[in-house]
Amino acid sequence: MGIKRFHYARDVEEALSLLAAYEGRGALLAGGVDLARGLAPEVEGLIDVTTAGLAGISADGGGLRVGATTTLEAIRRSQEAQGYLGGFLAKVMGHVATLPLRNMATLGGAVVSAHPWADIPTALVALGAEAVWQNEELTEKASVEELYRRPFRAIFRRALLTEVRFPAWDGAFAFEKVARNAGDIALINCACGLGLDGEGKIAWARVAIGATPHRAKRLTAVEDFLTDEAPSEELWAEAAHKMKTEVEVGDDMRASAEWRRSAAAAIVRRALDRAAKGVTGDA
Amino acid sequence: MLKIYFELNGEPMYVEIKPGEMLLDLLRRLGMKSVKEGCRTGECGACTVLLDGKPVRSCLTFAAKIKGHRVTTLEGLGSPANPHPLQEAFLETGAVQCGFCTPGMILVAYDLLSRNPDPTPEEVREAITGNLCRCTGYVKIVEAVLLAAKRRREGVWR
Ligand SMILES: Cc1cc2nc3c(=O)[nH]c(=O)nc-3n(C[C@H](O)[C@H](O)[C@H](O)COP(=O)(O)OP(=O)(O)OC[C@H]3O[C@@H](n4cnc5c(N)ncnc54)[C@H](O)[C@@H]3O)c2cc1C
Ligand code: FES
Ligand code: FES
Repeated sequence: MGIKRFHYARDVEEALSLLAAYEGRGALLAGGVDLARGLAPEVEGLIDVTTAGLAGISADGGGLRVGATTTLEAIRRSQEAQGYLGGFLAKVMGHVATLPLRNMATLGGAVVSAHPWADIPTALVALGAEAVWQNEELTEKASVEELYRRPFRAIFRRALLTEVRFPAWDGAFAFEKVARNAGDIALINCACGLGLDGEGKIAWARVAIGATPHRAKRLTAVEDFLTDEAPSEELWAEAAHKMKTEVEVGDDMRASAEWRRSAAAAIVRRALDRAAKGVTGDA
Repeated sequence: MLKIYFELNGEPMYVEIKPGEMLLDLLRRLGMKSVKEGCRTGECGACTVLLDGKPVRSCLTFAAKIKGHRVTTLEGLGSPANPHPLQEAFLETGAVQCGFCTPGMILVAYDLLSRNPDPTPEEVREAITGNLCRCTGYVKIVEAVLLAAKRRREGVWR
């Protein structure tokens, strides 16, 4: 069929009206990094949402709000993102693709395309980030983790993701990715966060793993195991062992399940150690 | 069809495009043959151009998106008669073999030097991560960018 029309949406309402009017033959376009690589044959109309005024980053208490069409590179360089959790989110963006792609790709596009091998969903799930979206009737929100348990592809056939909200955390996070080279996609990735109580014990832990090769998931068994314990090298080793027994892994063309199981344990150990050093100010 | 206004290498342009046309195809159609098609999947970097001064992949950019914006291709930096200092540095250090990757490499290097006038070899390697070269082994390309950076600091630039 091919693309017959290109629309520059001036606001959310216009984008949603157009999307509804196309009855499945229209597609929302952000950076296009994903869309241009695999345009469905039925798509006749492209609705550019980067013109709808959604881009922007703002500090929100100790948290962060990022408009859906903000590019990954804009996040990486922003003062606000660098001030959030010691620049954790900004650093994660530095692991994603390469600069020219980060100048195009948007956070909203990354949340909606939700590749199982992608890095951003892993970080967002660990952080408890909340997605906000709008359809013709209402505005909804849910944690990204919860969103991925729903039929989110169907949701975004008639809705526009407008914003991602990142909560404040009293603690630190670290991200780890194993890839064949700096610009490649992950063979496995993880994001871990820790907070300490007044006695130096772990008050909360967040452990998310992605590219297993399934989409990012939290491992609450590992989080529970860590909670109320005192941070130590031994504890990270035991948590890594727990990860090894709990993580669901699979084979694909890039890596075997067995390799992923060992690698998952190794990177979680590293990320926990780095997060703990971030908490105590050693890193 | 769709009519768009944009600026190409400093010149105003008003062109008719197909609504699903990619920037790569538009630029080549307009004679900008420095813009190469390698993979069309965003991975090789041969199609890189500057959009409002920032490197992007023209193979994944819908041409309609450049309406009202500035596009720079290698033709906008220099010509055989009047080469840009980066082009001269690439030639002098032997950083060009078949030349297919060169336009993309020079444009990402141009962006790097505009942000960081004194990059380390590691920073140059990081900047060219997304641009593949099948010929040179990258060593000479890194040397070329460092040489151009030195000349830029000495005032040889435009
Ligand atoms: C070569 C390459 C390497 C990559 N490497 C990595 C990597 O290392 N790590 C990583 O995490 N990711 C990686 N990615 C994935 C990349 O991060 C995503 O493809 C990108 O963020 C998508 O964003 P976009 O704005 O370009 O989306 P688009 O391509 O414009 O859109 C993608 C999908 O989301 C929909 N959409 C976009 N915005 C919205 C919105 N606001 N509301 C509702 N629906 C919307 C579109 O309709 C489409 O279905 C890579 C991609 C490529 C091509
Ligand atoms: S042709 Fe665009 S990145 Fe390869
Ligand atoms: S010189 Fe041939 S690809 Fe780089």
